[in-house]
Amino acid sequence: MKILVIDDEEDTRSIASMCLGLLGGAEVIEAASGKEGIQKAADEQPDVIILDLLMPEMDGTQTLTNLRKNPATERIPVIFLTVKGKFEEFDNLKELGALAVLTKPFDPTLLTEQITDILKANPMPEPRAKSSE
Amino acid sequence: MRLNLKLSHKGLILVAVPLIFEVIFLATLTYLLRQAEIEVQRQVRSKAIISQANTLSKLFYDAGVAMGGYSITKSPLFSDRYDKIVRQIPQDLDELKNLVGDNSRQQQILQNLQVITVTGLKILGEAKSAIDDNRVDVAQFRARHMYKEIRSLADRLQDELRGLTEDERKIESEGPEAQNRNRAMVKIYLVIGVLLNFLIAVALALYFSRGISRRLNVLTDNSIRLARAEPLNPALSGTDEIAHLDGVFHSMAEALNEASRKERAVIENSADVICSIDVDGKFVAVSPACNTTWGYRPDELMGRRFIELVIPEDHQETIRAVRAVRAEKGNTEFENRTRRKDGSIVTVLWSTYWSEAERSMFCVAHDISMRKAVEEATKASEKRIRTIIENMLVGLIIITKEGFIESINPASERMFGFDAEEIVGRHLLCLFNDSKLFSERSQSDTHNFMENLFSRALNRIGELDALKKSGEDFPIEISLSEFETADGYRYLANILDVSERREVERLKKEFVSTVSHELRTPLTSIRGSLTLLSVGALGMLPEQAKKVVTIAERNTIRLITLINDILDIEKLESGKLDMVFDTIQMNNVLDRSAEAVRAFAEQNGIKLEMVHTNASVYADGDRLVQVIVNLVSNAVKFSPKGETVTVAVSEIPGFVEVKVVDRGRGIPPKYKNLLFQRFQQVEASDARKKGGTGLGLAICKGIIEAHGGTIGVESEEGKGSCFWFKIPPLATAKTQQAGQPPAAAQPVPLPVAAANPPLKPEEKMFG
Repeated sequence: MKILVIDDEEDTRSIASMCLGLLGGAEVIEAASGKEGIQKAADEQPDVIILDLLMPEMDGTQTLTNLRKNPATERIPVIFLTVKGKFEEFDNLKELGALAVLTKPFDPTLLTEQITDILKANPMPEPRAKSSE
Repeated sequence: MRLNLKLSHKGLILVAVPLIFEVIFLATLTYLLRQAEIEVQRQVRSKAIISQANTLSKLFYDAGVAMGGYSITKSPLFSDRYDKIVRQIPQDLDELKNLVGDNSRQQQILQNLQVITVTGLKILGEAKSAIDDNRVDVAQFRARHMYKEIRSLADRLQDELRGLTEDERKIESEGPEAQNRNRAMVKIYLVIGVLLNFLIAVALALYFSRGISRRLNVLTDNSIRLARAEPLNPALSGTDEIAHLDGVFHSMAEALNEASRKERAVIENSADVICSIDVDGKFVAVSPACNTTWGYRPDELMGRRFIELVIPEDHQETIRAVRAVRAEKGNTEFENRTRRKDGSIVTVLWSTYWSEAERSMFCVAHDISMRKAVEEATKASEKRIRTIIENMLVGLIIITKEGFIESINPASERMFGFDAEEIVGRHLLCLFNDSKLFSERSQSDTHNFMENLFSRALNRIGELDALKKSGEDFPIEISLSEFETADGYRYLANILDVSERREVERLKKEFVSTVSHELRTPLTSIRGSLTLLSVGALGMLPEQAKKVVTIAERNTIRLITLINDILDIEKLESGKLDMVFDTIQMNNVLDRSAEAVRAFAEQNGIKLEMVHTNASVYADGDRLVQVIVNLVSNAVKFSPKGETVTVAVSEIPGFVEVKVVDRGRGIPPKYKNLLFQRFQQVEASDARKKGGTGLGLAICKGIIEAHGGTIGVESEEGKGSCFWFKIPPLATAKTQQAGQPPAAAQPVPLPVAAANPPLKPEEKMFG
């Protein structure tokens, strides 16, 4: 499983990557900003994107919106991984197309398992008519 | 001997005794007169008898003479004469018989007379017959013989008549003497009677008049004594009207004395000074209360001018008041300040009455220093309260029952931007945001507004949006309380502008969020790093290092839990704990809870036993899982290894009940009530030993109460505990909530909060 982790916080990004890679056995690609993430998503076509919400310049929601706008990335599942407490209105994230929200701090040993469960429970819809045209 | 007679009886005696005496006297006189009259009658009868006897005697002789004449002359003249006499004699005898009456001796004489007369008349008759027969010889013989006979008869007759008249003559001769005697006796009787009568009348009059006048004098004396307030004479004895009057007089005097004693007692014991002041303003009488009021004895004040007691500042006013008392001639009151003997000042209320007749002013002087002091204190207190009200930051508005503003304090003026003058009299509605939609001139609008206001803020604190004069709205807390005034019921509205508090709350929330975010970000890295190390993902660590890393990891987890719990408790307290209510199966809740704690239980060597039921509830499933996980975690922590923790769901009347039973050390009774408060654990060391925050049960309580349920514990020390909670079943909960979470005693969460995610478990699934 190829996972793209987009988080401006280097420590968090590294730990998440290590947990997913070392403990979960996933192939992890890291991006330090929304902009970089969008690029890497398009380039690497990961199975899932783990996206931080609060980031400078382009935050999680903007990144998600942009990912959804880009045909190359519009069908890649996105799961938010964020610190709970500050951004509590998660419903609009669902509107934007996120699959779920995982909160930090997470249980490193369970992170990969949780992601797999979410993906199983939420199969991505078929490509939209527009993309098939 | 004294006679206890009534005055009327005495009067009766005074009249009756002389009257009786008069009657006796008159009767005696009448008797005497009657005797004299009888005597006169007897004299008259005697004279008649004598006269009649003489007539009879003469007739007899005349008969003899007529017979003699006839015998000689044979003249019919004599014969007629004789016949006439013979006829006359029996008549005269009868008359004499009548006159003699029943005098027996005289009756005897009369019988003799009758026999003699009959015999004589018979002889004369025979003589006449002889004459008529011309037997002269016989006649002559007879005449001679007869004459003798007649003569003797006449003599006898004379004798008898003499005998008859003898008594009468005696009576006749006695007549004048008896009459003289009678007259003398009458005279004597008259003189004695008049004299006695006079004496008796005088004696009685003297006796009675002396008794009555003496007693009347006593009465007169008593009345004088009464007037002089001297003791009365001893009560008069007897039962007459004067004694009775005297008795009444004594009772009256006693009553007057009693009344006077009471009056004196009232005056002497009155707390007020009762006094009279003469036309010169001097005390002429003062009651002992002056001792208390002014410190002077009555004798020290007598003769002194009362103005001397008044302090100089009040002289003019007092003199004016006294003049007014005299001018009005009625009851008048005035106040002034007087100086006590010790120099202190006493304020006195004078109730006065001017008597023109006695040229005196009667006064009651009432010490009103205390009242004045109370009035001053009340004024000061009022002023203090007014100052407080005027300077307090809380807005106070007094409204009528209908909601019209009666008064408003400066804080309210500042809060709403209105001056009191422009707002008093208007309806409270004009100070609320509702006035943008509703009119304060519409009775139904104001009525509905007040109904709503009462339901939200009467005797409780309600939050509403108020409106400033400028049109700007702002949040307020308002509480109404009812109170009674002389004009009826009013409501006091306490109003607090909570704009700043709301802002502070917002900032606090933001601060808490930020802090927790800022703490969580590094904690994420720390926890991840430690876990990677401890599980050997980065290569195996030496035993010591692994132990240390495990400790660090465990404490990091504890720190994370604490932060989560603090966030939850903060939300519970601000009433903004996010809840997503839905119909949920308790089986599902139980499974999810078991899943969440199974690893932890196994780690601690505790077996989990789940008792399912098919009950459904209208609840926030995630929150219920959070509660059960918390209770089971506690049960696991405090159970000895190898024991079982049972989670049982059951339906009881009106509720769905969940019990978490352990066989741990149990909870001492004294901690039972504390357990559900923040940061409470049975032993202070538990938090460190068992890794709890002390917030878990407080959060559980908040969540269960937000469901309209209750939570509690039953425990026996050494045997284990049973934590339980019960929430309404589906039907009840839905009816009660009617689209809103059952926020028991909690304020209703903002609608926006309903979309917030639960705190545990740490993920929220969409779709």
